[in-house]
Amino acid sequence: MKELVLKKTVFSYQGHSFSHDVYTCPQCGKVLIPKELAEGRIAKVEEQLEDK
Amino acid sequence: MKMEDATRFTERCINGEPASCSCACPFHLDMRSFLSKTAKGRWNAAYKELRNAVMFPVIVAALCDAPCRGRCQRTIIGDEAIDLPEIESAVIKYANNRKPESYFIPPKTKSVAVIGAGVSGLSCALNLSHKKYSVTVFEKENGWGGRLHAETGRLGTEGGNFSTETDSSGRHASFKDFDDDIALQFSVIDNVEFKYNTEIKSLDELNDFDAVYIATGAGGESFGLIDSWDSELLTTSSPKVFMGGMLCGVSLMEAISHGIELSRTMEVFLQTGKAFTAHSFDRINCGRYLDHSDAVSSPIIKASLDDGYTEEEAKQEAGRCLQCDCEKCIDACEMLKLFNKKPKRIASDVFTDAGSSTLASRTLTRETYSCNICGYCKSICPEDVDIGALLQFSRVSRLNSGKYPAALHDFWLREMDFATTEGFFASAPKGKEKAAYAFFPGCRLGASNPDHVLKAYEYLHNKYDAGIILDCCGVPAYWAGDDDRLNENLEKVRDSWKSMGGPVLIFACASCEHVFRMFLPEVKFVSLYELLSDEEGIVSLKIYPEAAVFDPCAARYDDGMQSGVRKIAVRSGIEIEELKEKNRCCGFGGHMQVANPSLYNEIIQNRIGASEKPYIVYCTNCREVFVSKNKQCVHILDIAFGLNLEQKVPSLQKKRNNSLEVKKILMKEYHNTDFNPETYEWEELKLIISEEIQESMEKKLISEADLKEAIFLAESFGDKFIDESGRMNLCSLVKPVVTYWVQYKTVSPEVYEIFSVYYHRMRFHKDR
Ligand code: SF4
Ligand code: SF4
Ligand SMILES: [Zn+2]
Repeated sequence: MKELVLKKTVFSYQGHSFSHDVYTCPQCGKVLIPKELAEGRIAKVEEQLEDK
Repeated sequence: MKMEDATRFTERCINGEPASCSCACPFHLDMRSFLSKTAKGRWNAAYKELRNAVMFPVIVAALCDAPCRGRCQRTIIGDEAIDLPEIESAVIKYANNRKPESYFIPPKTKSVAVIGAGVSGLSCALNLSHKKYSVTVFEKENGWGGRLHAETGRLGTEGGNFSTETDSSGRHASFKDFDDDIALQFSVIDNVEFKYNTEIKSLDELNDFDAVYIATGAGGESFGLIDSWDSELLTTSSPKVFMGGMLCGVSLMEAISHGIELSRTMEVFLQTGKAFTAHSFDRINCGRYLDHSDAVSSPIIKASLDDGYTEEEAKQEAGRCLQCDCEKCIDACEMLKLFNKKPKRIASDVFTDAGSSTLASRTLTRETYSCNICGYCKSICPEDVDIGALLQFSRVSRLNSGKYPAALHDFWLREMDFATTEGFFASAPKGKEKAAYAFFPGCRLGASNPDHVLKAYEYLHNKYDAGIILDCCGVPAYWAGDDDRLNENLEKVRDSWKSMGGPVLIFACASCEHVFRMFLPEVKFVSLYELLSDEEGIVSLKIYPEAAVFDPCAARYDDGMQSGVRKIAVRSGIEIEELKEKNRCCGFGGHMQVANPSLYNEIIQNRIGASEKPYIVYCTNCREVFVSKNKQCVHILDIAFGLNLEQKVPSLQKKRNNSLEVKKILMKEYHNTDFNPETYEWEELKLIISEEIQESMEKKLISEADLKEAIFLAESFGDKFIDESGRMNLCSLVKPVVTYWVQYKTVSPEVYEIFSVYYHRMRFHKDR
């Protein structure tokens, strides 16, 4: 088992991409999205991208 | 997409069109705008609006007999019409900047001759000179004003004496005031030449001019052209010669308006060589009155000063204007009110929206997907405009151009997939191949309450020898704007109907019926409630002493269904209340919940508030929506079959299980076959979910099955995160549109306690 590390990750939605630092497994690259991020910033950006 | 593809939906919308009073006004003054400026005491702005419309405000305020008052919609609620002449005088009095504007336009080379310096000739000359044509006015008398010399009061008196009297109303009606008004309006003009004491004897004298306006006044010279006069275009048989004003038998006010209209027609003529009016005014609409049943009566304000209103009085009188403009749909529909756009604007946005190549330049997403597609707007619109149909069109066009936010409809499309595959079942009555009738309960009825389907089918099977089709009508695909998917489903539905011999379908769900009505017109149908209402034999339960019937939006045009429900309820002894607004959407329509959760809640609250009494509903979605917000509410089938009130809404998972259960029972009972639903490895897992989390899952439309699948995969492959304590796990499940996350602890093998559940729509890309 490995400690997670902050890593720049590419997100995409509705044809737009951007990157954000999120905790990632240094070994397999799996990304962890905490609830606060999903329901906070991510939800907001999703809505903005849908509205654009 | 062509512009008309979108605008055709709203072309009949009358919003923004002149009010009846403006139609009656000889100058088509925009009353709404003029009066709202006045009501705010914006005297200069109001003056400018008045002046631009009538050219000579002092003359018009004094002499117009105000035909607008005969078309004031205040009168239909029993009030006196707005006193426009008095308001106009006040506006002139309180405006402190009455200086005309001069326009910086390069001078035109063409020149115009005007014969007659009466009001008609003057208004034409003034307007053309603003546009920088050079104008020469020929007048046989020694000064301007013509007929005004004879008008000393608003009624107008005959006689040629130049008078300086003021009329009895105290309004400025002396020639001195009129003279000043004309002088003021011409004060910034330098391209008009007045030739007084000059009588034109023959039009040949004016050959050098590019256009001529004959405005010689009542009984004046027409140069033999009066018989060829066209009252619409104000043209004559001589191509460049125009004619109008009191010469042609119109009133003084119309004479001024002729001059204004003509200046526009002439400009078109001078530019193109052809005379036509650039804009036409719809006088027919003078009689188009709006619904003012909610308007509050308010008495006319009388002037307290000798020379008319005080500022306050003028503001108050102008404030009596009802601002007649149709906004009926916007007032009635929460969605339209929220986005606050006029129908025609929405249509043009739909067009622009479709034209833009990237999703990023679109502006209409939220609005398009916030509509209930309920048709209420159309039902109350005086012109039958259906904004729901426009936004449905927008959904289809977005989907076809590959630009639709899939997450907004994903949940229901997955439900539809389930209902049309695992949940699907079609069978003729016991032991038969064909049926004259078949029950089509729709996918929600049995999911919400299996008894609704089982009891109803038992009855229909025995009484009508009916077959059954458990299927989804496809409304989720319709609301998603997914025509391909909708059509594919319609084909399939048509096939099962045909292979049963084309039975009359018996509907319990108004939305199913609506879809069939729209897309499968060959199918004959009847509503379950109509059939039940004729049935004296069945027990019906008086659940409440009194209740209001909440008709679903989709049943708007089905009187049989509506009255059937009432009969059943009345027979049970319930006293029925009718809601003021009929067939409103409960909030569920259009599947807009994900697109706009706060609007969704607002709509539900408004519907719940329509009556204090409990509701009788006959749409499963209405029932679930209301019950979830604690409104006392019962399905008509509970009354008809005397069922227990199962007030709670089943969880998303339970609904799926219910559907399968219904199918299983029906197959066994009427077909004697066993139904073995598809099983998944994760089904055996046990989840401990608190009520709070359960509730949040329902809101976010996350079902237990997705959690089980996520945990099962995480546990099988060790694909999860573990916190420092080593006990709390976090895993995710990536579905085609949405990614789910579950936080859980293992209680014992195969038993998991859930701590939180959430999702996002965004995708992330693993890169190493
Ligand atoms: S109800 Fe709405 S769509 Fe119909 S005319 Fe009025 S503003 Fe236009
Ligand atoms: S269809 Fe319903 S929700 Fe949509 S605009 Fe019309 S009234 Fe509003
Ligand atoms: Zn790893």
